[in-house]
Amino acid sequence: MTSIVLFGVFFILLLINVPIAVSIIVATLATMLLTIDTLPALTTLAQRLAVGVDSFALLAIPFFVLSGYLMGQGGIAVRLIEFAKVLVGKLPGGLAFVNIISCALFGSISGSAVAATSAVGGFMIPAMEKEGYSRPFSTAVTVTAATTGMLIPPSNILIIYSLASGGVSIAALFIAGYLPGLLVTAFLMMGAAFYIKRTGIAADSTIEVGKFWPSLFGAIPCLFLIVLIIGGIIGGLFTPTEAGAIAVLYSLVLALGVYKELSVKDLYPILLKTVGTTAIVMFLIGASASMSWLMSYEEIPQAISNSLLSVSENAIIILLIMNLILLAVGTFMDVTPAVLIFTPIFLPIAEMLNISPLHFGIMMILNLSIGLCTPPVGSVLFVGCSIGKVSISKIMKPIIPMYVAMILALALTIIFPEISEFLPKLLGLI
Amino acid sequence: MKVIAGIIPKLNKTLRALLATMMALLVLNVTWQVITRFILPHPSSFTEELARFFLIWISLLGSAYAFHTHSHLGFDYLAKKMQSNAAVTTAKLGYVLVILFALGVLVIGGVNLTYITFLLNQESPVLGIPMGYVYLVVPLSGLLFILYGVWGLLEVKDPSNLREHAL
Repeated sequence: MTSIVLFGVFFILLLINVPIAVSIIVATLATMLLTIDTLPALTTLAQRLAVGVDSFALLAIPFFVLSGYLMGQGGIAVRLIEFAKVLVGKLPGGLAFVNIISCALFGSISGSAVAATSAVGGFMIPAMEKEGYSRPFSTAVTVTAATTGMLIPPSNILIIYSLASGGVSIAALFIAGYLPGLLVTAFLMMGAAFYIKRTGIAADSTIEVGKFWPSLFGAIPCLFLIVLIIGGIIGGLFTPTEAGAIAVLYSLVLALGVYKELSVKDLYPILLKTVGTTAIVMFLIGASASMSWLMSYEEIPQAISNSLLSVSENAIIILLIMNLILLAVGTFMDVTPAVLIFTPIFLPIAEMLNISPLHFGIMMILNLSIGLCTPPVGSVLFVGCSIGKVSISKIMKPIIPMYVAMILALALTIIFPEISEFLPKLLGLI
Repeated sequence: MKVIAGIIPKLNKTLRALLATMMALLVLNVTWQVITRFILPHPSSFTEELARFFLIWISLLGSAYAFHTHSHLGFDYLAKKMQSNAAVTTAKLGYVLVILFALGVLVIGGVNLTYITFLLNQESPVLGIPMGYVYLVVPLSGLLFILYGVWGLLEVKDPSNLREHAL
């Protein structure tokens, strides 16, 4: 009964376009009112909204959002693109590869896929069009490649997963994200190469690639940020939150002082955009805090796991079912709410099957990142299409090989936990 | 209607300035924590607590503003497919639900939370700030949600006013 009320109210509100966070809270309230008096229920929910975000670890999120904006607009993205050009620009299909590598590089200094889409896409989509690629294909490449930033650290969604999973180490998650992120990057390059070969695009006739050393030197200050942030976190020098503050400071100095591509008055709109993104994510976290409390109180995860385990006791089949559900969820829900809602439901099941919370988190985020590029709801897809100025229906054909690439990378990651667990084990983080 | 129309732009401007300032202070605050930890012999202890309180304020006040700018994540697929009359009705229903949520959870629940916290004399461990002041942002953001919700309701009279929910 309680789960019918909870999920029923939630889905009805979701369908009529009530913000997800409000849908979660109202559904939780409706369920609580079955057993609890009104005033205590309202007060508990109000308290969860405030206390749910009262965490020093969560502060890393606004910092990585802010540094992402600063890097995107402050000339750092452009230098990473120049560097990517000397790496892969001369290969056949060069600019498509440059786009993918640039997204991965941008992902390795910022934490959000949307930031990567606008920073890299805003530059690469017109550049690719100039070299003879179609706008829809260039957009499809950008939106799928931008999602690698969610796996390649630093990553905001991994911080959120750490919270939702009840404390998997952020440092271990960050390191675990590298290999799967690079795997997706490699598969996306293959997907792009396949599409280019299949459609016979004759492109890159006039591409100019800079010299290796100057481009590398140009990118070194940006690349050093990776060493600073990730090295600092793994080495235990500072917490992810402090690393975020350092990333903000570092990109401020680069953008304002060294590259001089931003002025102090540009900071106001950037700060406001950061507030917007932060508030949206935090409101969802506060809302989900009460819902996941209620679900565990009502033993809803146990009920779901019992019914799943009655279908089969085979770990692979259960994993397959969970992944199919997540793929479906991902098409209509953004990653943040999906992680916050489904981690408390699925993680206990995964642990029963001896899947480590670390591996499960990476798998789940890789899975949900596919949904970010699919209609009807996909924030990265929407941002990419508005930057590429193409309609969603136009990019559906060129994006299919990219979906296939992501799904293959997901399948490999599911089958081989070593892909996510190898590096953290090597560094003694798990 | 006219009264609200006069208030909204001024309120937005103030709120934006306040939020951007808090975000800037948040960055300075944690930067100061890093500096004191590496350079000064005694790491500052108040910064962590202050940063967390800033985050709560930014989250809730920012959420109200994000509601006004239609920035919250949602599922607008069906709403976009609807006939214009149905779309207006659904949008109105959505605003009413958000207003009721804000009134119930944020204002009533929030006032009660703040009241209880003041009554129990709860103070933050390091700074000694009465926690009631921290939680005051809950009812405050509730009032903003209601104001923006009422304004939204007045605005959606015809379908051309339906703005898209964008990230």
